[in-house]
Amino acid sequence: MATDSKKVMVIGGGIAGLTAAWELSQFDIDVELIEKSCFLGGHAIQFCCKATDECVVCGACSVEDMLKKVINQPRIHVHLATQVASITRNGAFQVQLEKSAAPAGSAGVLTGYSKNNQPLIVTTDPAQADAASKDAVAWNDLGTSGRLDVDAVVLASGFQPFDARAKGTYGYQKFPNVVTGLDLERIKRTQGAIVRPSDGQAPKKIAFIQCVGSRDERLGNLWCSHVCCPYALRMAQDIKHADPEAQITVFYMDIQNTNKNFPLFYDKCRADMTFVRNIPVDVYPEDGDRLRMRFLDDADGTALNDTFDMIVLSIGIAPGADNAALAEAMEIELNADGFLAAADAQTKTATSQNGVFLAGTVEGPRTIAASIAHAGQAASDVINHLGVSHD
Amino acid sequence: MTEEQITMNTDVLVIGGGLTGLQTAAEVAQNGYRVNLIDAADLPQIPDAVSANDRIDVMTETCLIGATGVAGNFNVQLKQNDQVVQKQVGAMVLATDLRKQPLHDVYGLALSDTVITQSSLDALLADNPAALAGRTVAFVVGLAQESNPVVLERVLRAILEIQKIDGCTVYVYTGNLKVAADGLERLYKAGRDQGATYFKLTERPTISSNGASVAFHDPVLRRDIEIAPDLLVIEEALAADDMTAQLAQTLRIDASAGNFLQIDNVHRYPVATNREGIYVVGGARDVMPVPVARADVGNVALRIKQLLGKGETRVDARAVLDTGKCTFCLTCFRCCPHGAIYWAAENKPVISPVACQACGICASECPMDAIQIVDFSDDDILAKVNERATSAGVEPTIVAFCCQNSAFEAAQMAATFNMRMPAGLRLVKVPCAGKVDIEYILSAFAAGADGVMVVSCHTGNCKSERGNTYAGWRVAEAQRMLEEAGMNKDRLVFATVASNMAHEFSKICVDLEAKIREL
Repeated sequence: MATDSKKVMVIGGGIAGLTAAWELSQFDIDVELIEKSCFLGGHAIQFCCKATDECVVCGACSVEDMLKKVINQPRIHVHLATQVASITRNGAFQVQLEKSAAPAGSAGVLTGYSKNNQPLIVTTDPAQADAASKDAVAWNDLGTSGRLDVDAVVLASGFQPFDARAKGTYGYQKFPNVVTGLDLERIKRTQGAIVRPSDGQAPKKIAFIQCVGSRDERLGNLWCSHVCCPYALRMAQDIKHADPEAQITVFYMDIQNTNKNFPLFYDKCRADMTFVRNIPVDVYPEDGDRLRMRFLDDADGTALNDTFDMIVLSIGIAPGADNAALAEAMEIELNADGFLAAADAQTKTATSQNGVFLAGTVEGPRTIAASIAHAGQAASDVINHLGVSHD
Repeated sequence: MTEEQITMNTDVLVIGGGLTGLQTAAEVAQNGYRVNLIDAADLPQIPDAVSANDRIDVMTETCLIGATGVAGNFNVQLKQNDQVVQKQVGAMVLATDLRKQPLHDVYGLALSDTVITQSSLDALLADNPAALAGRTVAFVVGLAQESNPVVLERVLRAILEIQKIDGCTVYVYTGNLKVAADGLERLYKAGRDQGATYFKLTERPTISSNGASVAFHDPVLRRDIEIAPDLLVIEEALAADDMTAQLAQTLRIDASAGNFLQIDNVHRYPVATNREGIYVVGGARDVMPVPVARADVGNVALRIKQLLGKGETRVDARAVLDTGKCTFCLTCFRCCPHGAIYWAAENKPVISPVACQACGICASECPMDAIQIVDFSDDDILAKVNERATSAGVEPTIVAFCCQNSAFEAAQMAATFNMRMPAGLRLVKVPCAGKVDIEYILSAFAAGADGVMVVSCHTGNCKSERGNTYAGWRVAEAQRMLEEAGMNKDRLVFATVASNMAHEFSKICVDLEAKIREL
């Protein structure tokens, strides 16, 4: 069958985009993988391993696996620091690519986790070039502009982490030891251990606040983000594993499942930590960069005060910043929550536009495992759409 | 390297004729493969997409009772009534449905007109919803089990149906509300907006035997709350089909607790089992909402297309068996985690190059050293060990056997980020820690290494499931042998890391270096 003429554009180089690209490449389809930032792997590549004595099935390492496969696959052409300027349709898709702007607030040097994937260090400010490694690549040298013709499009542009500053009373970015779950992943990933930002010391008493930005009627965020309970509990167990003396309190509404082993895992969590079914509202600074919160006791409803070394805000998955622009460019719709709408509530990959498919969190909250499965499904649908068969 | 051309049978067996099984059959048939769809029950409703498809052959009241062979060439025995038929298939899809399990026993209740299961309520709402007019209906959910989004969605949808009926009142007693699926938070809100009252409890309420009184102590209001519903709806658990335990045994599939046919191993997502050519979808692998099971269907279609192609595949041999050395002891057959070794007609073991993952566990376990892994033969590895142990020229010299899936990656990352590493550290890449023989470890010491590390994946994260377990056993045995020889066993370390644990890898190495300096 004539497979050599088929080409697919995948927008987004996170776990969903990587998976879709790799699956398509297995069927001899050429893939143009467009990534706005200068690294592949998206959010998930920044996550740390949370294994205790055993793997806790967070899936962070499977992102590494997929990244390695993609960068060694010649049929996948990666365009870093690149975005879609315009797209028109005349049977196939005509895409105009342009260089994307360097992210603001990067202090001139970006370092990535995409180990074998060049570049590892990118300078956005030429004045910083000397300070960075001699292997550093300038942002200006990256990026593709020009025209592409593709037969189908996979949108895998992902999510944005909920901006914890929108919940002002928690004092995120005001108090150094109020961090988000994503910050905590990066701390563990870059430093190999959980430490307080204020002094680099291991915190002894830690609070996790669940549902920050999710299940929040006042914000209009009427969805559960799926991932926050799993990552918070896994991280909490990891902290207990490293330091059995650490005291952990989890403030929650409803604890969501991790994986098949959840009942046993949850029993262990309840034995090792304190669970309070109450979401505190205010954080007050105390001496030594410690933080105090007031909440209601589960057992008798009395108001309690407790002080912590570190507070972790379990931020959720918010719709991608580019979703509206992407929907307009592709002439597809957003759903009620601001994610891109699938044409069918059960299939969830096809859109109202023939030849345009969704993969991963661009469609709604998903775990790493669910994003991989969704991207595989999208690739399968693309292959059926293109009528490609494997020899 | 020897490339082999292998003929693949392109028929596919799908086990289970529920929604996911039917969708799988249709999708696989659409890709041009013949499908045998079997189900233990009679299937009253088979959609046209399946029944009218001449590539799909449906056999009802049929069970799989035996299977031999490997991916591309399975021989299966199917039993329909009292007749046994043999079929050859290239791949299998396990697509059994979930089974509903009423949990009234856990609440100490007997079912009656006023105490009913979720399934009975669903039937009532479909057949005669008017019968519920004016009634107070209470649900108990998530208090007899750790619930899940599929269980919760049934409750939330039933509540919205009840709220369409005149004069109904709804109460829900719940543990953790499992809203982690698309749209559930909105369904939950819609029910509450229309008056459903939720009590979130951590313990089961006190329920009278006829269900007419449900009481608990509210800690916030500091009082007992008792409600007298007309109808009490008891949650149901969703369990793997009864036949999955037997399927796991017949097909040599690693099953999880509850007999789901996939263990929680990140390398198996989404639809793989421990055996090539045997895939698992939907309720056969986990409790999942319909859209997630639908994703499995797309994935399994891809995997089958990739495996079977047009009926021929070219593969490189990955493990080579010296039949002259083989004593037919069956060790390899038993220890292969991928079921890649089968018995050929001439009574000798054959390693299928299609199913083999080249982990090397069999090669290390074989008492006759009759199996060699391509690119990782004993001679190759021992030569590397000797070179690494003697070439560092720095004291202490540490030889680290690193699994290529985890430790070797972590080591590369540590080097890329300029993390601290002992100057005398030398790596030996192995396909899986399960390939590290005791002989390799002892050879490293004999060649002059001051320390040896075997670094594998975490428990539960091994691509070959048990490679790290074998490695741990062998290191323990080698430590015993070192002690007998008068050496300190702390010179030999077994550790586990993930591919992204550069820091931890660096620390393990540096710690061993410090330890050796102490000794």
